[in-house]
Amino acid sequence: MTLTRRSALLSPLALTALAHLPAAAQEVIAGLPRRETIILENPEGTIRNSGWFNIWALNAGGQSTGLQQLTLDTLWYIDPDRGIDGQAWDNSLAAAPPEYNADFTEMRVRLRDGIFWSDGVEFTSADVVHTVQTQIAHRTLRWHAILALNVEQVTAPDARTVVFRLRRPNSRFHAQFTVRWGAIWIMPKHVFERQADPARFDFNPPISLSAYVLRNFDPNGKWYIWEKRQDWRRTSLARFGEPGPRYAVYVDPGPPDRRVISQLNHELDVIHDTSPEGVFTLARQSQTARGWFRGLPYAHPDPTLPSVIFNHQNALFQNRDVRWALALLIDIRAVSMASYRGAATISAIAIPPTGTHPSDYHSALEPWVADFELDTGRQKIKPYEANVGRAIADSLRPSMRDQIPTDPEQIARSFGLGWWRMNQQAAAELLERAGFRRVNNQWQTADGRPFSVRLMVEGEARPIMTRAGTMIVQNWRQFGIDARVDVAQGTFFDRRGAGDFDTLIGWSVETYGGHPDLSYFLDSWHSAYVAQPGQVQPLRNWGRWRAPELDALIERMRTVGFNDPRTVEVGKDFAKLMVREMPIIPLMAYNVFTMMDEHFWTGFPNAENPYTNPVTNWGNSRYMFTRLRPRA
Amino acid sequence: MFAVLGDLLRVNREFALGVLLTGIVVVVALASLFSPYPPLDVYVVPPDVPPGEGFLLGTTSRGQDVFWQLAEATRNTLLFGIAVAAISRVIALTVGLLAGYLGGAVDRILMSINDTFIVVPLFPILVLFYFVMRDRMSWAMLALVMACLGWAYDARLIRSVAMSLKTREFTRQAVFSGMSTWQIVTQEHLPYVLPIVFSTTLNNLNWSIGLEVTLSVLGFTDVNTPTIGGMVFWANQHTALVAGIWWWIAAPVVLIATLFIGLFLIAASVSEYIDPRSRLARIGAAK
Amino acid sequence: MLAYGRHLLKRLGQFVLVVFIGVNITYIVTHATPINPVEQTIAAVTNFGNTSPDAIEDMRRSLKALYGLEGNIWEQYVGFWGRVLVGDFGPSLSAFPTPVSTLIGRALPWTIGLLLVATVMAWLLGNLLGGLAGYFPRSRTFRVVGVIAMALHPIPYYIVAFVLLIIFGFLWPILPIAGGSGMNIRQAFTAEFVLSTLKHSILPALSLVLASAGGWFIGMRALVSNVVTEDYVTYAELAGVPKRRILGFYVMRNALAPQLTGLAMSLGAIFNGAIITEQVFGYPGVGTLLVEAVHKGDYSLVLGVTTVSIIAVAAAVFIIDLLAPLIDPRVRAVDTAEAHA
Repeated sequence: MTLTRRSALLSPLALTALAHLPAAAQEVIAGLPRRETIILENPEGTIRNSGWFNIWALNAGGQSTGLQQLTLDTLWYIDPDRGIDGQAWDNSLAAAPPEYNADFTEMRVRLRDGIFWSDGVEFTSADVVHTVQTQIAHRTLRWHAILALNVEQVTAPDARTVVFRLRRPNSRFHAQFTVRWGAIWIMPKHVFERQADPARFDFNPPISLSAYVLRNFDPNGKWYIWEKRQDWRRTSLARFGEPGPRYAVYVDPGPPDRRVISQLNHELDVIHDTSPEGVFTLARQSQTARGWFRGLPYAHPDPTLPSVIFNHQNALFQNRDVRWALALLIDIRAVSMASYRGAATISAIAIPPTGTHPSDYHSALEPWVADFELDTGRQKIKPYEANVGRAIADSLRPSMRDQIPTDPEQIARSFGLGWWRMNQQAAAELLERAGFRRVNNQWQTADGRPFSVRLMVEGEARPIMTRAGTMIVQNWRQFGIDARVDVAQGTFFDRRGAGDFDTLIGWSVETYGGHPDLSYFLDSWHSAYVAQPGQVQPLRNWGRWRAPELDALIERMRTVGFNDPRTVEVGKDFAKLMVREMPIIPLMAYNVFTMMDEHFWTGFPNAENPYTNPVTNWGNSRYMFTRLRPRA
Repeated sequence: MFAVLGDLLRVNREFALGVLLTGIVVVVALASLFSPYPPLDVYVVPPDVPPGEGFLLGTTSRGQDVFWQLAEATRNTLLFGIAVAAISRVIALTVGLLAGYLGGAVDRILMSINDTFIVVPLFPILVLFYFVMRDRMSWAMLALVMACLGWAYDARLIRSVAMSLKTREFTRQAVFSGMSTWQIVTQEHLPYVLPIVFSTTLNNLNWSIGLEVTLSVLGFTDVNTPTIGGMVFWANQHTALVAGIWWWIAAPVVLIATLFIGLFLIAASVSEYIDPRSRLARIGAAK
Repeated sequence: MLAYGRHLLKRLGQFVLVVFIGVNITYIVTHATPINPVEQTIAAVTNFGNTSPDAIEDMRRSLKALYGLEGNIWEQYVGFWGRVLVGDFGPSLSAFPTPVSTLIGRALPWTIGLLLVATVMAWLLGNLLGGLAGYFPRSRTFRVVGVIAMALHPIPYYIVAFVLLIIFGFLWPILPIAGGSGMNIRQAFTAEFVLSTLKHSILPALSLVLASAGGWFIGMRALVSNVVTEDYVTYAELAGVPKRRILGFYVMRNALAPQLTGLAMSLGAIFNGAIITEQVFGYPGVGTLLVEAVHKGDYSLVLGVTTVSIIAVAAAVFIIDLLAPLIDPRVRAVDTAEAHA
């Protein structure tokens, strides 16, 4: 007697209901033929200032309402998966990869021909120059700081060429214009040059540079409808063929359970993320819904690393022994079960175990990690435990049977390699060396106060990490630490930025996935960017960790070319440094439970055909539209 | 007073049923003292086991035994309700008795404030309170705030009883014998208003527990403390209903409904007992 | 007429007092917080990039003015009232730069519409059935209704709403489970929009009616069973007045007056319930707005919604109070008597 629709269908109530069943197949969206329409979840939820499309303004309006996926474009895209033509790198508005001079102080970009804005104006180098100059000139614009810090001068020698003169050598400057989720988007000069204050302009209706254009939106911000451009051939996406859906609708589908119900009713084609239990329900009850993987872990692995991030401006966590002690208290099997019901891809090192990273880093570094020694003051231990991923897979097999792979290679990819062995004895020794004492089974800090740790989690919006946090807190509490979860809800990002936390579950490491380069996050970890206590920390070193060794590493990276083989060496040195210092406790890959319903549309990317990232709020998901076809 | 309750138990079926239902809830709450698991720990039992097979009420997707979780939650929720009721009784009694006994300007001012608290929508205020306190918001603080907001309806009832007492002979005697207002109110009037205090207490319990459940379901309380609403909150986090783990939500809902119906029946039969007119009507109807 | 004027003045006084105390509570709560809303806001706004120190200092100054944190306590207090009276709560932080008042203005009609319909329906239904049940205490039908009302009454709003959603949105999906109206429908007075809105409001309204009609039913049944023992009812029965007339004119009318006062008194509670209902059904009203504002840490929006809610509920109570004497002449008489006392 479980509450499923199938069992309900057998009940008398449902039998009478069957007579009225056509009612269920009602028109979901007035005036739009369902077979030409795809409905996707916008994880931002309800957009309160619904009529705001100026993405260049600070902290305003919705971004993944379809705006950045369907109407914006910029110079390059880099795919976290294989890429639409087998290449992770795509020259989008640019005709070729960036060309740097020898000392990386100048970047030259050649642009494509024949790309037009949706109002018929041709896209030229003037648009790129205007995008950069406007943001440098206005502090209130979103990418002001990054452009002002990097760009000395931007010029357009001709309509198809843009030259950036940089203030200091930066071999990774092009990353700012390379979409990995998002990037600096190009603004239409002919629209923005008429605005006295571009920060106060709502850009409604938005002029599109990509294959879709705004058709209609809800003043209450719950839905946005985009229509394929008549002249979609005049966009950069046209190289991959005509996009399938005529209409794309991004909606706020409500809480996780409502999303599952909607997809079972075929009223929501792509779910951005939901609870693991919801995914199991979909897998069980829907004939047409599927995730990235057909079986466990279902979810799409984003190149993002959920970790326990310490606030290094809190004196308690400035001691490496304390950080390592807290890491050794974590039972990673329990965390994997609690968060992903075992479907986590664990990682012992601070690099996401996704894309090409496992071969570049995880496997390559495993011998070093296995030999790594930790001195607790009383003994020397080798904290690494190999084959944890395989053990988790084995323990799940009795209940999940053929959903669990048997091929060791595939197990390693799905569940990860090893992790740090739970070792309360070593943790106690480390804490004692840091001056902590255990009194009546409760730990006290060196100054005699209870050792209390709050672990901030986001809550409902990110159930996986909230659950992982709950489990970790339990591990700590059982050891006699006064640990508690702090559910921050929507204030999470503000508090993360403001440094208003002890520890948090989140990510400060995110990478390209398909490319070994770590600069996407690593450059921002330089101590020059670490904010004073009380000030707001810019992206992404939320823990505010600073170390001379780290700075040296970053400075070395800045002088190494993007595709230089030495890039991997920099990455490995980073991973080793992170193991020694443990400034964040790496946990696992961020597997997003994106569920795709093939009732109306087929051709979604998945593990068998990983041509792009289906996660709906990624700008990269635009490539998916060119492969979608109505189901026959 | 206990003799009266005994009588009620014998002759009034509704009262007896109410006591029975409330009693069941109290027993569940007391059972928490024997819980084999620490209340906050997750994954201590296999998750998603349906009721029956080794677990009376099944287990949650968080690997907690629903029965023991429910027991702990019931205890916390009941304690919360009792704390709110106790604090708000003090305010309601003070305001009601003073307004009723003193009358005049004091009465008018107190009752105006009183009516304001009846009308003002408390939920947004509680939400605002949670908003500004965030994780500093503890169980005890929420109880205190709710008590400060939730006394008004009962104060009005107590006042009406106090007003009628004021005109009685013994009040005048007390005044002539030189008792102070405070003495008269606490020594002479309090015993007479106790029955109505009893029934309003039960209604107040219903009110505060209902609000607590609502706040918790939305996650606007300390979700670290297991409560009835907190159970529903976590069940929603794990999409329990669509995942088919209905027992996770059914258990707290049935329990809270049992408690509410029980308290409501007791309160209704007690106030009926206090008001003899409807008792006569009942006898008439029973004929 | 003079008596009605007195009644009006008295009620107006009560209205002002409710607003005064309510708004003061919000002021005290927001100023008793250990959290500094200005710094929180600055963190929120500057989250996505570096902003220069002098720009932040500018922002800090204008936010202080906005939240009334400039000057001494007394100046802050007066300033706060000034903004409440003109309805200026500044720009919303989560929907920057849309003013809070615009957001509330957009959401309020939805809430008022839903609440008005649901409350009136629940009140009429509950009182009608309750009156009948009280008048015909031996009727089997009304006893069953009574048991259902008793069982439904104590179940929290949230549960009723959620069960409805599961039944009609999941097990037997015939009704929309989210939103206030269909997608791609222009919000104007067209048949399409009105029909769509009605369809979307069925589940939320039904949940409100189910959850609150029981209370009216129980109250009315008790009142009527009291009234029927009154002498004038007995006389009317002895005089052979038709039962329907007795019920309508002698019993119901007299019992309705306290129920109307009850309605005024419980409006606040009904509003509380609406917040939950809106949340469950994704209804675009102020309840959803408030919950989202809390989740997004939007200080000015939370403050605005709370204040406006208090004023709106107080105003609704005021209107019911003004209508009460028109239905029940005894209220007028009581007021006059009190005025002479």
